[in-house]
Amino acid sequence: MLEVGATLNRNTLVLSMLVLGGVLTTAGFIMAFFFTPPVLGPAITNEAGRIIGYQPLFSQKIFYFHVPVALSSFLVFFFTAYYGVRFLMTKDRRYDTRAKVATEVTLMFVILTMATGILWTRFEWGRWWVWEPRLTTYFIMTLLVIAYFVLRNSIEDEERRATYAAVFGIIAFIDAPISFAITRVIPSSVHPVVLRSGGGLTGSQLVALLIGLFGMLMIAYAIYHTRMREELVHDRIEAVKAALEG
Amino acid sequence: MDPVLAEIYALVVPSLPYVAGAYALLWIALVVYIGMTYSRVGRLEKEIAVLEESLERRGVSA
Repeated sequence: MLEVGATLNRNTLVLSMLVLGGVLTTAGFIMAFFFTPPVLGPAITNEAGRIIGYQPLFSQKIFYFHVPVALSSFLVFFFTAYYGVRFLMTKDRRYDTRAKVATEVTLMFVILTMATGILWTRFEWGRWWVWEPRLTTYFIMTLLVIAYFVLRNSIEDEERRATYAAVFGIIAFIDAPISFAITRVIPSSVHPVVLRSGGGLTGSQLVALLIGLFGMLMIAYAIYHTRMREELVHDRIEAVKAALEG
Repeated sequence: MDPVLAEIYALVVPSLPYVAGAYALLWIALVVYIGMTYSRVGRLEKEIAVLEESLERRGVSA
């Protein structure tokens, strides 16, 4: 009875986090549009070719939901590696399930990061895709996340599948910090370094970004937990079916 | 057209489909994914309730 009560409380908490995440991301978005100063873009030149001013970029508003989704994808992907390590240490199947669900949430966020980023790139850089370091390393991460599921689906034996997936997940995660730090390592990159000390963002820009980021992380947690709930119920159904048949 | 308004529209209108498209895509994908997950969880929980009931009737423990 106590267990049922705890589960219900947890489900209510997850639902609350999902709603709060939606509210926070919307608040961050509204703040980005109505309270943060515009970012100045390409120079306006006169007939003689001299710079007479800069124009504000409306397309930069994509930043306020593109970056939270991208940062969330890195963070959730960390849990693939973490649960992979835990699985290899303990051989407990629950960690394999957690790693699989974390990677599934990562895939969702990676696809959304790519989609929103591509739309931004198309408008600001005039092309759908640019082979610059950040985009390339993130694209590699996307392929690795997809490859994780290809690997899982290609192995029948549960024990081997879990072990291979754990090792692959740990190795694949190495690309995440590389992708995050690449714009700092290769400063010639056209992709801006946003999170840095010394004037990367103004106060209101940072607040709008952080509100969106916290909201997106709450949504990520709620999705992860709901998918875990689904996996647990699924396992329970299999156990009950086995008991009924036996 | 008012030159100030013309300048504002010139800034906003060309990028509007990309900004709106990116935002809509993000939310549609998240809402559909979350909706599908909740719907599957609901269906599975109904299934487990029925199975556990029949398990109880038979007096078998899982």
